[in-house]
Amino acid sequence: MKRVLVYIDEDAVEDSIDLLEVGRLIYGDKGFCSYALAAGVRYGAAGSLFDYMFQVKNGALPNYDTATIARCIEFLHRIYCFDAIVVPATHCGRMIAPRAAMRLHAGLVADVTGIGTDGDEVLMVRPAFSGRMLATVVCRGSGPVMMSVRPRVFTYEEPVLKSAEIIDVDVQDMKTPGIQLIERREKSEARDIRTSEVLISGGGGVIRDFHLLERLAEALHGMVAASRKVVDMGKAPRAIQVGQSGKIVSPRLYIALGISGSAQHVAGIRDAEYIISVNTNRQAPICSMSDIVVEGDSRAFVEGLLNRIEASNTQNSGDQKR
Amino acid sequence: MRILCLLKWVPDVDQLRYDRERNILIRENARLMLNPEDATAMATALGLKRDAPDTYIEAVSMAPRGAMPHLEDLVRRGIDHVTLISDPRHAGSDTWATSRVLARYLGTRDFDCVFCGTHTLDGGTGQVPAQLAEVLGLPLMVGICALVKLISQEGQAVVDVEGETAMMRFSIALPAVLGFQYSPERKLPYIQYEDLNRDVSSRITVLGNDKLGMDESELGLKGSLTQVRRLEVDALEAKDPVLLRVDQDGIDKVYHWLEQKGFLQP
Repeated sequence: MKRVLVYIDEDAVEDSIDLLEVGRLIYGDKGFCSYALAAGVRYGAAGSLFDYMFQVKNGALPNYDTATIARCIEFLHRIYCFDAIVVPATHCGRMIAPRAAMRLHAGLVADVTGIGTDGDEVLMVRPAFSGRMLATVVCRGSGPVMMSVRPRVFTYEEPVLKSAEIIDVDVQDMKTPGIQLIERREKSEARDIRTSEVLISGGGGVIRDFHLLERLAEALHGMVAASRKVVDMGKAPRAIQVGQSGKIVSPRLYIALGISGSAQHVAGIRDAEYIISVNTNRQAPICSMSDIVVEGDSRAFVEGLLNRIEASNTQNSGDQKR
Repeated sequence: MRILCLLKWVPDVDQLRYDRERNILIRENARLMLNPEDATAMATALGLKRDAPDTYIEAVSMAPRGAMPHLEDLVRRGIDHVTLISDPRHAGSDTWATSRVLARYLGTRDFDCVFCGTHTLDGGTGQVPAQLAEVLGLPLMVGICALVKLISQEGQAVVDVEGETAMMRFSIALPAVLGFQYSPERKLPYIQYEDLNRDVSSRITVLGNDKLGMDESELGLKGSLTQVRRLEVDALEAKDPVLLRVDQDGIDKVYHWLEQKGFLQP
């Protein structure tokens, strides 16, 4: 029976638990025994989905103490000899995985978005060159297969319910001072653009009229998103940035207003079902992947479409009154 | 204050052209650019030097010797010294091998802080800063959007970081590795006209493996613990779009299309 360790990041508990799917894809449903390292105070449903759960004795470890968590992973690996160690590619996970890999003398593949096998070999697929290429990478050497996995790419569906056996881990001798959290401000609980079926996204071409997007988003029951250019100029928050360096989205409809479609932006919308792009340049890269290209000024388009929708709504309500 | 800046030159991804017939990206002729997040890190270091002129900044880069003109320009922009680690035997190194080479050199230097970008545009694994920190036994923070303060006498840096769900402020004991997030406000200074052709060769050191003395089995593909099996272009599905204009006809057609697809539910 293979052994798979999943690190549970307390800032992304559900996404971490979903990494059980990675174990399932490599070893099959019954081919592996699952271990969760719940170093933080939050571990959600991990206790009912894993076979074993490691818990830190005498208090939790904060996820930013990446050096200690890496030591903890090394310590556990020396005892349990994991076949695979899977870490979510979150802010802290991206620091923990490389540190642990270095300690274990193991190859590490970052930001994995696809898994395959070739005989006994695990094939890990990851985007490179801002998402324009896909690299298939393997780990060499005797160490465990190690990867950080992009959150929300894999979902653990039809889970097998278990009751995890809790194993206490004493980290007293592993603690490495160096980092202190001075202040933490939770971001507002705004809806995540990844959950919206319709995205109205603005780029450099609508920077002055960005406020109009909100009205169109409302009319189409969607949310506003933005390109990196708009975010870099401080006109929109980073939380709504689409692209390889922002969020990877998969809405049913993506309306790209004044967005030329740089490689890194396009990498973020390749799973959109329909794309309408509005651009003064119909040769812009985004146009070739669009279903409809509207050539012209984005502001005029938004205003025209809003008027059209409103006119139709007025007519409908008039009809109803009659 | 002594700061080491790690820099990488990467191809400008938007200039890579895609050859549909051969399913490859054409990388020749693509302009090399300083990785944007590394540029932010270096601009931050130069900003500190402007306020405290006794700050010493050394840039360290692993690159082929062809990168030399770029490195010379760094000195002309205000970097005190540049070290180019260059050896044909490094070709094909993964992040494990790369960070061990960098750690070998950094281990010989006296510094308060290592500045770098969080990610690079090409591979984009973001693993080197963390692997380097682990080999050197240093604290690490990446994704830094602002350096609040950096005081070598107090032995600490205070940084702001944007995480998944929160904005956080951390205090980090020096020496440490700090990875910056891209910030367009922090730009590299221009080269002064009179410095354009200044001879800066005395400020540049080139180090090959003969000086670093690592075993050949630790370098390049041989020294790597991961191997790229395939590199494929993630070709976009090219569609055959309906072409419209921003006029009444265009807007009517978009409206009816939205209606037909069910996006105009009341």
